[in-house]
Amino acid sequence: MRILTIVRQVLDAEESVRIRDGKVDLTSSKLVVDTMDEYGVEQALRIRDSGAAVEVIALAVGPERNQDALRTVLAMGADRAIHVNTELALDPIALSTVVAQVAQREKAELIFCGGQQADWDSHALGAATAERLNWPQVTWTNALEFHGHSLSGKHDTDAGVEMFSVALPAVITTQQGLNEPRYPTVPNIMRAKKKELRVEPLEQFGAMPKLRITGAEVQAKARLHKILDGKDAVAAAGELVRLLRNEARVIG
Amino acid sequence: MSGAAGTRAKQVTGGSFLIEDLGPHDIFTLEDLSGVQKEIERTTVEFAEKRILPQVAAIEQKDFSVTKGLLRRAGELGLMGIDVPEEYGGIAMDKVTSALIADNIAVCGSFSVAFSAHAGIGTLPLVWYGNAEQKKKYLAKLASGEWIASYALSEASSGSDAMNIRTQAKLSADGKHYVLNGEKMWISNAAIANLFTVFAKIDGEKFSAFLIEAGTPGLTVGPEEHKLGIRGSSTCPLSLTDCLVPVGNLLGEAGKGHHIAFNILNVGRYKLGAAAIGGSKIAFRNGVRYARERTAFSKPITSFGLVQEKIANCAAGIYAGESLVYRVVGAIDASLAELDENAPDFSQQTQKRIEEFVVECSILKVWCSEMLDRLVDDTLQLYGGYGYVEEFPAERSYRDSRINKIFEGTNEINRLIITGWLMKRAMQGRLALVPAIQRVMDEVIAGPSPREERTGALAAQYSLLADAKKLTLFCAGAASQKYGAALAEEQEVMGALADMIMEVLVLESCILRAEKMQGRSPLAVTMTRYYAARAFSIVKMSAERVIGAVAEGDILRTQMTIFRRLSKHDPENTVALGREIAAAMTEAGRYTL
Repeated sequence: MRILTIVRQVLDAEESVRIRDGKVDLTSSKLVVDTMDEYGVEQALRIRDSGAAVEVIALAVGPERNQDALRTVLAMGADRAIHVNTELALDPIALSTVVAQVAQREKAELIFCGGQQADWDSHALGAATAERLNWPQVTWTNALEFHGHSLSGKHDTDAGVEMFSVALPAVITTQQGLNEPRYPTVPNIMRAKKKELRVEPLEQFGAMPKLRITGAEVQAKARLHKILDGKDAVAAAGELVRLLRNEARVIG
Repeated sequence: MSGAAGTRAKQVTGGSFLIEDLGPHDIFTLEDLSGVQKEIERTTVEFAEKRILPQVAAIEQKDFSVTKGLLRRAGELGLMGIDVPEEYGGIAMDKVTSALIADNIAVCGSFSVAFSAHAGIGTLPLVWYGNAEQKKKYLAKLASGEWIASYALSEASSGSDAMNIRTQAKLSADGKHYVLNGEKMWISNAAIANLFTVFAKIDGEKFSAFLIEAGTPGLTVGPEEHKLGIRGSSTCPLSLTDCLVPVGNLLGEAGKGHHIAFNILNVGRYKLGAAAIGGSKIAFRNGVRYARERTAFSKPITSFGLVQEKIANCAAGIYAGESLVYRVVGAIDASLAELDENAPDFSQQTQKRIEEFVVECSILKVWCSEMLDRLVDDTLQLYGGYGYVEEFPAERSYRDSRINKIFEGTNEINRLIITGWLMKRAMQGRLALVPAIQRVMDEVIAGPSPREERTGALAAQYSLLADAKKLTLFCAGAASQKYGAALAEEQEVMGALADMIMEVLVLESCILRAEKMQGRSPLAVTMTRYYAARAFSIVKMSAERVIGAVAEGDILRTQMTIFRRLSKHDPENTVALGREIAAAMTEAGRYTL
């Protein structure tokens, strides 16, 4: 069986976002594999590690730098990688046409992708891919077991937790808590150099984005530096609660 | 060795930086890391952040099970096998990779020392001098972290003068064992080690090394020392009382143990330099993040100039240190790259090539440990009173830093090595220092000459570098003219010359790295300009100290005329540069480029 895991490359959480000419500027920024996608990769590797005859294929769509992210995933343990090379920014719906075609061509029966994406919180890629393939999808998965031709597990809902079982093929989107992704060991990093990383052009997939990002701004909130002098402790506490509730709106 | 390095630096000989000018593409910088090296760096960072940092409190409580567990985990990740051949369970990679690991794993001084004592000085003697049987028996266990190694050289009455050890070894009557008697002091990892490399003199003469397993009768580990810093690492005396060591555990040849001791030190020193960079980065991150949150007079303290000055000094120090360390280790890799790893004398050739960089290794050790020491002082100050209490990490960093100026050869001994080794090589004709000194002497005596015209953002810094080199050569010439071979006895002059030599190498590394980045990092240029001012002021001060000591009367007046000509430069606006650096670091909340 083949498992396809989607890998997106995002800005490291430690980095601050810079804008140049109305676009997010990534030059000389540290880029990493989206943590949400790492949960998917880890889950795929765990299925393989459990002894199932599984091949784990990582897929990234984007500019050449994505190959760094794929190398990381290969070093984590994925068997091979496909890089669909494009400078075009694909929205999730356009991206899902590529994912669905690759899944069909590779005869994958299970697709993992991060529920959200750290830099574009759309939550649409898994759903759109499942729709194109006419497969079931399970979102917000935080526990998963593999049973050969089906999966069972848990996922969050607004009100609590649901237990599910789903027959393969299926699309699973991940969330924090599903597992703790491994990081590559040095020997695996060396081995990854020899693994297949196939580069393909975007054109053959006919994916044209209908959505274009025309500008970006970083929302910078100036600090208010409000200091409550506390000469009257009771009054200060009351004022603090009022500010947190009405102005900062961090408590109900 | 795996050719993991993406870019190869130019092959240079040790000490040549004083007489040769390199271009930006002749040196290795962190920006040249290969994909594999970056991956290994990332794995190290993850390990440090997710495994070591959450355990710092337990490590500091001397819960050695935690340290051993972490060492085991590091072994499983492959972080301890970089210098170990593949056939013995290692990965055998380049030295830049092992420096990257030493750098990024150094988020906790105690663990960093345990790690280096094991993976560096603990394991390398066996890699380089062990016979096949010894390697087979021990090396894989060390590379995997299943066993911990310890290196036992120092004694109560011999530290820097390592050759004066008193521990004795005698062959037993049946010729099957060496019988060791003596005391060792300050032995890192003593309480957790499974294997000790112990130095002793056979029959009181032949300086030799022995592999001794923990639990060998007659080997006793003494009580833990109560130390100023790195309290979570184990440091104990060892006592050897009629300790029977099988003859098969003699490491290398009898009477040639000094080769082991000295060659290991070179590696220990450049790794110490790298680890000091890691220690600086974490102390700086903690300090800047605290300063961002702390308000005084209703403003965050990072808005105050004198706080910004500290932040700028720290950041420029890290930038300079990184530039220095990776340039030198990259040059060592370039020199090792052409060796045949299957050749029978591969280990000897490796050591010979590394020995070529004795001066540079000592510079890394001294300069980086002193940069770290200034930095932990500055970052502690950012916390004010909170810096002085154990609840905040600045206090631990401050204590942990101090040992770096002491072990792996004190900074005083290393300063003597820096100047002494260069002078010795010059006398032997192995380094064209004498003609270079002659050229500078001729040039300055001929009178003022126009400076080389350069353009670009770093034009003024190139000019400072050129004059710093000239001042250093000029002072070295003046000192050796005055003292001849007796210069070695004038330790203060040797030390002042070492300070000049170090700053030349550091400044050149900063300039070339910023240049190599070709404007991709405006901060690199700003920090180079900022650091250059400090470097040149140290060169000037040291030059005056040397000239004042070696000359008087008319000669003094002539030499000071030359000094003034070479040291005349307009000052940079370091206040404005410092503010710019501090703003970027404060925004990032850590060291950034």
